[in-house]
Amino acid sequence: MKEELFISGRDIPYIDPYLNIWHWEIPVYLFLGGLAAGIMFFAGYFTIMHKEKEMQATVKFAPMLVPFALVLGLIALFLDLKHQLYFWRLYTTIRFESPMSWGAWTLMLVTPLSFIWAASYMKDVFPKWDWKFKFLDQIIDFIIEYRKTMAWAMMILAVILGVYTGILLSAFNARPLWNTSILGVLFLVSGMSTGLAAIIWMSKSKYERKVLSRLDLIFIAVELFLIIHLFMGFLAASEVQIEAAQLFLGGEFTVIFWVFVIILGLIFPAILEILELRGFHIPIWIPSLLILIGGLVFRYVMVEAGQITRYLY
Amino acid sequence: MDKKIGLKKRPVYINPYFGGILLGLLILTSFYIAGRGLSASGALKLTIVEIVDVIAPEHAENNTYYNRFLPEDGGSPLFNWLVFGAIGTFFGGMLSGAIFGRLGKLRIEKSAKISNRTRLIAAGVGGTLFGIGSQFSRGCSSGAALSGTSALSFGGLIVMLVMFGVGYAFAYFFRKLWI
Repeated sequence: MKEELFISGRDIPYIDPYLNIWHWEIPVYLFLGGLAAGIMFFAGYFTIMHKEKEMQATVKFAPMLVPFALVLGLIALFLDLKHQLYFWRLYTTIRFESPMSWGAWTLMLVTPLSFIWAASYMKDVFPKWDWKFKFLDQIIDFIIEYRKTMAWAMMILAVILGVYTGILLSAFNARPLWNTSILGVLFLVSGMSTGLAAIIWMSKSKYERKVLSRLDLIFIAVELFLIIHLFMGFLAASEVQIEAAQLFLGGEFTVIFWVFVIILGLIFPAILEILELRGFHIPIWIPSLLILIGGLVFRYVMVEAGQITRYLY
Repeated sequence: MDKKIGLKKRPVYINPYFGGILLGLLILTSFYIAGRGLSASGALKLTIVEIVDVIAPEHAENNTYYNRFLPEDGGSPLFNWLVFGAIGTFFGGMLSGAIFGRLGKLRIEKSAKISNRTRLIAAGVGGTLFGIGSQFSRGCSSGAALSGTSALSFGGLIVMLVMFGVGYAFAYFFRKLWI
């Protein structure tokens, strides 16, 4: 018999002293959720601004990705669940104080909306598309009349979805790295930036890419500003927050964070976007891909690192 | 007229002597920051070690060559300055290419007289020999020749002389691949 002797009461498997419950599924979901939020927000925004003709990739083409991103994200979330058959219980209650409840209900609204939006543009994107049944055509015609209303709903829900991906983490008050109000805005901005990167990659219009690249540069600048303030906040706080920040300032996540998120995921693509705006020939997929990879690594690092930060010693 | 347009479209390169000085300063900076010089083949070697370690960990552990590059703490061999140096070189080269107009569509650079297939086969054979040679000499043209000689390594000096000497001697036989 293998005998084990504990001399501490603080040994709760997977929870204390370190959280070890979230693996690849959560960062993948947070990334796809942010990406979907970014694409939906700008599809809604440019529809409201009457720019459907100039911004075709933003309004018509990129939103075709959103249903796939959301469904894949939801599959990742489902895989993460311990009791998968009970997922529906999230929809038996509404709890305003729970970010997970907010997220579950937002996804419940946003996912069908993304399908409806994509369906309303199917004939524009695939000219040979045939809905087969007349009633489906009638439904689509009805939906098209309410695009502006949908655009408003998409914008608002996209912001909630984007913020929620960050608040999901910041609501963990036992994890110093996550327990900061900057995280909600930071994840929203990062999601917007990854959404823009995906749209830029899909766009064939020079005008559209120019508008989106300028917007993306603003979002990258804001993201860097928020990251700096995140660390300034940690370093000015108590010892646990300082130790959380040290994971990125010399600790085990330093290289992956600074190389793949800050340099290759934000600064380098920003330089390439600036060069493109100034007329240099840049294959547009390069900055877009770097921003997307940077966004995914950012979420992976935040989820991984956050789980090993703690208050009690 | 065509020739003029052709010349105008040619990508811009800096003066090779000035480039050499910059490269020397880069090695100096690399020694100052990372404590090591430059390397190119090392990153590829470590990638191979990582692949072998993932597919056949026992083989990697028992093999004297692979085992040397597996970190003692069980971490990934890719978490190494050589790999990050190579990533930096890749993106730095890309930035330089973008600024000086060399970044175009994906293409195979070759002599107009040979086919893409010949070029790729020749590059594959040459690259394989170079990979084997770099392991015999404990470094390639960057790791052994440049970084080695800059640290006054006699081995590095021999690598430099032999590599370029043999290249010069054999260039005649393979000239049709290029001119």
